[in-house]
Amino acid sequence: MSLLDSVRYRLRVFTRSRQHEQELAEEMEFFVNAEARQREHAARGDVSAKAARDGARRRFGNATYYREEARRISGLDVIDTLGQDAAFALRTFARTPVFTAVAVATLAIGIGANTAIFSAVDTLLLTPLPFKAPDRLMNVALTVPATSASRARDDLVWSYPKVEAFRESQNVFSDLTAWFSTQNTVRVGDDALRLSGEFVDSHYFATLGIVPALGRAMLPTENRVGGPAVVVISDELWRAGFNADPSVIGKRIDVDIATLTIIGVAPPGFAGVSGKAKLWLPFLSDPPVWDNALFRDPYNHSFFVIGRLAPGVTPDRAAAISRELGPRIDARFPETGPHSRHWGIAARTLDATRIRDDDRRTLFLLFSAVGMVLLVACANVANLFLVRAAGRRREIAVRLAIGASRARLIRQLLVESVLLAIAGGVASLAVAWVGVGIISEVRPGLWSSQSDSGVGTVFTDQIHLNIAAFAFTAAIALATGLVFGLVPAMQSTRPELTESLKTETGVASRSAISRRLSMRDAITAFEIALAVVLLAGSGVLVRSLVQLVAIRPGFDPQRVLTMRVNRAAAWSRDSISRFYDVAVDRLRSLPGVKEVAIADCSPQSGGCSVENVDVLDRATGPQRIGTGLHWITPSWTDVLHVPLVRGRSIERSDAIGAPLVVVVSQSAAREFWPSDDAIGKRLILHAHDTARVVGVVGDVRFYGVQQPPRPDIYISYYQFPMSFRMMVHILTAGDPAVVAEPARRALREVAPGFPVYDVASMETRIGSVLAGSRFLAQLLSLFAVLALVLATIGTYGTISYAVAQRTREMGVRIALGATPRDLTRLVVGRGLVLAAAGGAVGLVGASAAVRLIRAQLYGVEPTDPVTLVGIVVLLAIAVVAASWVPARRAAGIPAVEALRGG
Amino acid sequence: MAGLDSKKNELLKGTLDMLVLQTLSVRPLHGYGIAQQIEALSEDALRVEQGSLYPALERLQKKGWITSRWGESPTGRRARYYTLTAAGRRQLGNEISSFDAMLVAINRVLRRA
Repeated sequence: MSLLDSVRYRLRVFTRSRQHEQELAEEMEFFVNAEARQREHAARGDVSAKAARDGARRRFGNATYYREEARRISGLDVIDTLGQDAAFALRTFARTPVFTAVAVATLAIGIGANTAIFSAVDTLLLTPLPFKAPDRLMNVALTVPATSASRARDDLVWSYPKVEAFRESQNVFSDLTAWFSTQNTVRVGDDALRLSGEFVDSHYFATLGIVPALGRAMLPTENRVGGPAVVVISDELWRAGFNADPSVIGKRIDVDIATLTIIGVAPPGFAGVSGKAKLWLPFLSDPPVWDNALFRDPYNHSFFVIGRLAPGVTPDRAAAISRELGPRIDARFPETGPHSRHWGIAARTLDATRIRDDDRRTLFLLFSAVGMVLLVACANVANLFLVRAAGRRREIAVRLAIGASRARLIRQLLVESVLLAIAGGVASLAVAWVGVGIISEVRPGLWSSQSDSGVGTVFTDQIHLNIAAFAFTAAIALATGLVFGLVPAMQSTRPELTESLKTETGVASRSAISRRLSMRDAITAFEIALAVVLLAGSGVLVRSLVQLVAIRPGFDPQRVLTMRVNRAAAWSRDSISRFYDVAVDRLRSLPGVKEVAIADCSPQSGGCSVENVDVLDRATGPQRIGTGLHWITPSWTDVLHVPLVRGRSIERSDAIGAPLVVVVSQSAAREFWPSDDAIGKRLILHAHDTARVVGVVGDVRFYGVQQPPRPDIYISYYQFPMSFRMMVHILTAGDPAVVAEPARRALREVAPGFPVYDVASMETRIGSVLAGSRFLAQLLSLFAVLALVLATIGTYGTISYAVAQRTREMGVRIALGATPRDLTRLVVGRGLVLAAAGGAVGLVGASAAVRLIRAQLYGVEPTDPVTLVGIVVLLAIAVVAASWVPARRAAGIPAVEALRGG
Repeated sequence: MAGLDSKKNELLKGTLDMLVLQTLSVRPLHGYGIAQQIEALSEDALRVEQGSLYPALERLQKKGWITSRWGESPTGRRARYYTLTAAGRRQLGNEISSFDAMLVAINRVLRRA
């Protein structure tokens, strides 16, 4: 109660200070008038009005004094002096524009970059996943131990028989769903659309806790082979394709080769776990949308699994139970052969798997780097303040001497630094705005759109400057202002500073100077050390990028245009073959086109098939080996300039009816038949098709430039017709982009109703693979350069100040015969000592920090000598440059002036 | 000069606060009313400069022991009326008892001497 009244009073004083002041005066006036009237009345006219008034005034006392006293108590004077301090600070800033600009810019960059990165962290890691009680959801994955050829994994997808076995034997999840994302051709009216979808079992919606806005979801009881052919569509598809028609439930929709009945519309905004689904298809339905055999094969691993924790079960317990069940599930589906592995089970919270570990590391890395930039920025501003405070010691001493209180002076200095921090904070929002724009446009290279658990509900284009980031900025800005404001404020108002009235004339005690210099020196060395850490990190990343760019991927991406095409309906084997011919011929006849081929996937774009084949004719007997399996039309190796090493390529005559042939990569030839020539050897595809090797081609890096080539085999579309995955590759004479539209039109002509999509030049595709590495290297380099520039400014400030302080000493040296060259060497040497100290500390820190990015490096050791030497050279140049100007100034000091006392 | 005044005020500060609270415990009053009341009751024994009332009033408001609001005086002029809050009433009780305790102690010392 008293608190409330008190707060109300203070608030009134603060918000209506002028009114409060006037009222106080009015009240006192009223008092004196009342007393005067009282006196006049008491004397019954014996005294004049004036005398009565004078008496009243005397009785009241010193009105001015009491008014001031009341003002002081009410707190009005603090408001006054705050205003004065602010005005004074602004005048000071105007007098020292360079200092102000550098300080504000430094803070703006440091804080702005932090805000941008924090916005990314917030969106990618902290926003709750868009499901009911997302903290109760867990990603359940299969694990394999490390082998000589591959590292251990704990994030692998499931086969459906294993999912069912796990579902039955566990009791920690109340619901468990298996799903995977697809691309489907959907016909709505006359349009054929290529849409992202998810194949789901009937537990999907229940597990995620999503209730359709219209109709219903699939029921768990429908989760069986031959269940109803139904589909749930997204709110977006409902609006775009069905004009938000509420009677859509029960209507039929063509998806790929099946016709499905719409049973529900998902709530607005829901886009599945993949974050891009427009429809949800049951994979056990009849007729099947997908090959049903896929779901019966215990060794075909395709499914992501998400479980909802049963009430009272902790994530730890669920993880432990899942781990225990691993060997039991593995025992039911044993692998055979020399490459067989024991599978285990790992469960982690869905939230923990929402982005790839690599991406998480990247974010952490950027966050640390940007934090270091902020530290350097703060150190720099602190240093600037120290130098400036030292320059104002005389002013402060004078003010102390004529009666200013220490508290008042400290407050004034704090007001200055907080104002500066606020200015920096505001300016930093502009920097952050730009930074967020840059980060959110980095796609798809830097951030994988789907994590290893299939979660794709967080997207970089959702990164925006948010309230949390803003609060974060404000907190940093204010804390920074207080921190760097306080140190100089305390230091420059030390009581013994009255001494500085004397020291200005040059008789400062040595200890006072050296103590203060060592503080500045330490800050400068610290800045240099941080800059070195950042330089080392960005240096090795740049070197790694150079190595990546230099890798020969095994094909020539130049002047190749690619686009995906899909079937519109079920085709007979003959009509598909005819389509290949017509499409290739039609495209080949376009102007500017040199060669055309179709493949089921293109290098480094994902979506390639990996299958087990039984390799025959081996010296050590048949063996089942996993290999990349690629469908191609004959000229594909010509389009991408994949060299033929031995034998022949796939030819048009390798068609249905002719003997089955296969072309293998050099890696496959080496691994399948280590001691023999591969030509003429046999292998069994899809468990029943025996094909003979007719040729060996060069290795192609299908799975990313960093990935060493794995075994790949090529088969002909004409022998194994397939229409649901086709990527057209067009070798052009000139710019591939020019051909894009004519090619798209030509495909429309020969195959009306086929969706043509994902049109991009091969170079763009490969570029986007490297975009992540490139972006990371660029960003870190930017941070490192910023840190170096800031550290250079810091060094300059420190050295300049030292020179100014030692003006008299310099004069003595000149008088005693020192040459300008001696003085230059003295000053620059001081800079180099700072650099050596900071650099040594920095290198130690760098060697630890660079280890963190080992995973992002390719072909470079964290302790890359080229990088380290480069840093040392760069640092030396920066420090010499920073010391040069003050050194020249020192060398140019006229001896007489210096001795006179500057 | 200011030094002398503040010395005198310091001596009386606690006492003045207590007297103001006591005066307001009967009914709300404006500043002049409070001053008259104190002078009448103490029979002019506590002659302080009347202006010193104002710092005291600000102090008591800041502590939340009294509140104020503008009203009309019996002579029809605008005047600020001060009211004792519940917290102020508690404070008054505390001050009176500690003042009594101090008086007892002082008396005891003086009688011994």
